[in-house]
Amino acid sequence: MIRAEGVTKVFGPNPESVKSLLEQGKSKDEIQSETGHVVGVNNASFEVGAGEVFCIMGLSGSGKSTLIRCINRLIEPTFGKIILNDPEHGEMDIATMDGPTLRRVRSQHLSMVFQHFALFPHKTVLANVVYGLEVQGRDKAEREELGKKYLEMVGLGGWENHYPDELSGGMQQRVGLARAVATEANILLMDEPFSALDPLIKVQMQDELIRIQQELGRTILFITHDLDEAMRIGDHIAIMDAGKIVQVGNPEEILVNPKTEYVAKFVEHADPTGVITAETVALPFSDRYFNRVGEEAGNQIWNRTGYTDVEFHVDTNGHLAKMRCEGNDVALHELEEKITESGGAPERHTDAAVHCTTDTILKRVLRGRAYSELPVIVQDAEGRLKGIIDEPELIHGILEKHGYAQDD
Amino acid sequence: MNDLIPMLSGSLGNPFELIDLPVDDWVTWFVDWLVNTFRDFFRSWVSPPVKTVMEGVQWLLTSTPPLAVLAGLFVLAWRAASWKVGVFAVVAFAFIGFMGVWDELMTTLSLVITSVLFCLVIGVPIGILCSRKDMTYTLVRPILDIMQTTPPFVYLVPAVMLFSIGNVPGLIATIIFAMPPTIRLTNLGIRQVPGQYTEAATAFGSTPRQILWKVQVPLAMPTIMAGLNQTIMLALSMVVIAAIIGAGGLGLLVFQGLNRLDIGQAFVGGLGIVLLAMVLDRITQGLGEKAPGSRASSDD
Ligand SMILES: Nc1ncnc2c1ncn2[C@@H]1O[C@H](COP(=O)(O)OP(=O)(O)OP(=O)(O)O)[C@@H](O)[C@H]1O
Ligand SMILES: [Mg+2]
Repeated sequence: MIRAEGVTKVFGPNPESVKSLLEQGKSKDEIQSETGHVVGVNNASFEVGAGEVFCIMGLSGSGKSTLIRCINRLIEPTFGKIILNDPEHGEMDIATMDGPTLRRVRSQHLSMVFQHFALFPHKTVLANVVYGLEVQGRDKAEREELGKKYLEMVGLGGWENHYPDELSGGMQQRVGLARAVATEANILLMDEPFSALDPLIKVQMQDELIRIQQELGRTILFITHDLDEAMRIGDHIAIMDAGKIVQVGNPEEILVNPKTEYVAKFVEHADPTGVITAETVALPFSDRYFNRVGEEAGNQIWNRTGYTDVEFHVDTNGHLAKMRCEGNDVALHELEEKITESGGAPERHTDAAVHCTTDTILKRVLRGRAYSELPVIVQDAEGRLKGIIDEPELIHGILEKHGYAQDD
Repeated sequence: MNDLIPMLSGSLGNPFELIDLPVDDWVTWFVDWLVNTFRDFFRSWVSPPVKTVMEGVQWLLTSTPPLAVLAGLFVLAWRAASWKVGVFAVVAFAFIGFMGVWDELMTTLSLVITSVLFCLVIGVPIGILCSRKDMTYTLVRPILDIMQTTPPFVYLVPAVMLFSIGNVPGLIATIIFAMPPTIRLTNLGIRQVPGQYTEAATAFGSTPRQILWKVQVPLAMPTIMAGLNQTIMLALSMVVIAAIIGAGGLGLLVFQGLNRLDIGQAFVGGLGIVLLAMVLDRITQGLGEKAPGSRASSDD
């Protein structure tokens, strides 16, 4: 949908002059002390697929705002291309297009949500929401109809004739969101849209965005400095450090496999339970961690090395036939089933275990473990036993954000 | 050598005797040149519109019955500011009327309205141009300084030479004297519009013209109104001076009163001007506060 190729922004009197220094791979600090130029963004390349939420995160001053403003050229990039793939016009380079084309692209394909809302204070809520439509030249009736529809969508039906200063921060940003989606642009640029909001409102707004995204399927470039936020809403995350993109990946990849010290520092305090999957933390079912101790009715009997009281009976297809704990049969339940059945009051069983698929997030595995003292069984889509999650795996997974399997 | 020494020591004591800059001659020459070259141009192109507008406004105000004027004033002040200001305006105007100088009040009001109209029509576009390019403002600024700091008496003389006696030279002098705040504050107001709003407008694909009219001018409106307020006050302060060259109105009462040592008449004229100033001030302040752009201040 949109692709950045080597986007670079240098602030200073003669930005082109630092090209050779950048090519030599000099850092932001070196270039600043040698030439006085500030490198805002250094050779950033990434691609955002249609319908995807792509998060860019980094510390303050890492160049996030500069990068997102290069995409719609609120800031002129010094070097690089920004390729927009528009179904009607094919590939276009935003970086080199002329003024009228740029304005058309801004008004029809790219819209923006701002950290401090930037609602026009002299316009009513409805007039704010329809601003982009007004610029597009739609007629009044159509504008109002669309404006009301999108206000309704963000939960502000009935607030049309109020002014922004009569709304709370969260409501103002809903208006900001409605203003951005109302133009029906397929790409949404969001520069820390929820950073100025209270934590609770912030989570509400994230849910709202996820809901709206499911409904509308826009392509979103989302800036944040909050890793948990990025993990919650991002399909992919790019991490920026001193103007450079140092790692791109899906949330779990970033969390489990940070490529640099900087990324590792970032993820250190992230909440992994919503991101890491069962597959990552599970103890893989292999003879490395399990011993084959016998056979019964055509099924192989295994137990975990060092733990002899639980037996895993595996059939010839690799499915778990049954579990035995201290000689008693164990019933196997779906995670959900066990949770609903107990009505939310956790009671721990020694005769029942829960099972889940490999892509189940840690949070749900933990919840499941509240109902059973036995290891959680991890199965692939075909129901084959892939591994187990017992207390050591859970603790290790939360603290170290990866499993025993990756230790070596 | 011998007579060089006393000469030098003399000029060291007073260096200004060495060079004599005939600035007075230059100005006389310049004004003569200006008057001779442009008199016809000014009389045939600048006078008529000013004169026409003035006469139109005056005709409207004097041919309307005073009660209707009062009613109109109340509605205007009420809509622009509040009903309290409306009551105050009506009481003030009625009081002036009961002092027996209603006609003079209408003449002065016409003078003010006409000159302020021209100040706005000329000043706001210049202010906008100044806000767009630093270069323009750098050029315009010294001219504004001259317009504002030159004592108004000074341009009465060339104004009379160019336009002869009557309303017009007084109006022109008033327009020149009262215009700078409109230009300055229009420029300032637009420049002070926070970047986030113009950035948002740009991000949605607005043209520079759309940004100007949909965002910058409305948000600058409270400041532009403050400029209008100052312009009106300056225009009123010119009323007495303009009377000297035949503009008439309340100013003439003051001027004649002082000349004849008729303190009573001068006081009536002066009080009329003060009340008119207060009424116009409250109304334009209300306009500024009610402009939708004034919500910008309560938003960060
Ligand atoms: N107009 C400018 N002139 C000079 N330097 C600038 C300018 N704008 C940004 N910078 C520099 O570019 C770098 C990146 O700034 P940017 O605002 O993009 O950071 P950010 O990641 O958005 O930070 P934050 O989280 O605080 O918003 C900073 O070092 C900043 O000082
Ligand atoms: Mg920023």
